[in-house]
Amino acid sequence: MGMQWTPAVLQRRRHGRVQCLLCPFRCALEDGETGLCGVRRRTGDRLETATFASSVRHWDTVERKPLYHYRPGTPCLTLAAPGCTFACDYCINHRMSQYGREDSVRWDAEPVDAEEVAGEAAARSGCVAISYTEPSLAIELTAALAESGRPLGVDVVWKSNGFLTAEAVDLAARHVAAVNVDVKTLDERDHRDLTGARPGPVLDALTGLRERGVWVEVSTPLIPGLTAGPGTLRPIARALAALDPAIPWHLVRATPAHRRTGHAPTPVADLAAGVRIGREEGLRHVYVERALGAVGRATRCPRCRTTVVARDIWALGENALEDGRCPRCGTAVEGRW
Amino acid sequence: MAEYRMVEHIPDLIQPEEYERHPEGRLVRISISVDGGGVQVLGDAFRPEVLERLLETLGPDAIEQMLCG
Repeated sequence: MGMQWTPAVLQRRRHGRVQCLLCPFRCALEDGETGLCGVRRRTGDRLETATFASSVRHWDTVERKPLYHYRPGTPCLTLAAPGCTFACDYCINHRMSQYGREDSVRWDAEPVDAEEVAGEAAARSGCVAISYTEPSLAIELTAALAESGRPLGVDVVWKSNGFLTAEAVDLAARHVAAVNVDVKTLDERDHRDLTGARPGPVLDALTGLRERGVWVEVSTPLIPGLTAGPGTLRPIARALAALDPAIPWHLVRATPAHRRTGHAPTPVADLAAGVRIGREEGLRHVYVERALGAVGRATRCPRCRTTVVARDIWALGENALEDGRCPRCGTAVEGRW
Repeated sequence: MAEYRMVEHIPDLIQPEEYERHPEGRLVRISISVDGGGVQVLGDAFRPEVLERLLETLGPDAIEQMLCG
């Protein structure tokens, strides 16, 4: 089925153009023009989106997003429409995410029935995730899923690049329960090289989402020769710790992919060094999904260091928390348990 | 050119314990099985583009891939 365009939110008239207010590019569109994202366009006086649709319908766990402090073990019905606000040259998902930028990426998404999706998620006591591509581009679908899911106890979670305007943050916070935001680097030039965009709005968005009550975790890809060293990791850890030392920080091993293939995979030693840096800067929860084994995935009590949540790869092992508290010393562990 | 299909799950053939033994990421592991439906080639690699080139050389109708996130 081809693209189906439906009404979009977050727009204003400006100097005879229709301006999209979803991402910080703030595309000002003439009639018939499509934004940089390739999935929002102007038709007459109306802004439209093609993202009330999904190319996939995958069941996985919340740990895969990754979200470690949000309802561990929750099954996620995951949706994604092609498209992204970033053009990351290392993106493993480029065959979906780079729609609109690369001719080889075709539109293969089907319209989504939000009530039906929420019902399927409710039947497994799960949540709905929008992931793999940029979920904020599907803000209208997110709202519909959240509204359908709310009476059923079904939350919507995101895995996002965090490139949102303040207006989009306001709207997203009404509908998204938890989000993992990629903070790739705070270095202006490196971030532009990697993604085609500035890093500042990403930190602003994750701050705004937290302030509005969304549970936020952060991922950073450790790309050898670019973002895997202390020069990248320490400023990120410091910035996160200044916001809240309890923000979970996921260090992600990078494999050569897409257009960035001239490096080896992230050395295990770099991931271990990243964990040390996170802790030195005061972060309480720093995670590595595979390379450091079960110890790298475990949540420990920040006070007595007892393992309170043990994880397998992309799965919950055991959650020993009692009402969100360490069973040994009673210290509260931050999260939505 | 093979069509890429995004699927929910593909089994791992490489385990995290092997990461440090291959710092340059040159390891590729392949499993080939045959049943009534045809031949299935399952692959895992530290460098996805190497595996993709290899699988494309075999001329399949489709290559299945997992997504990240």
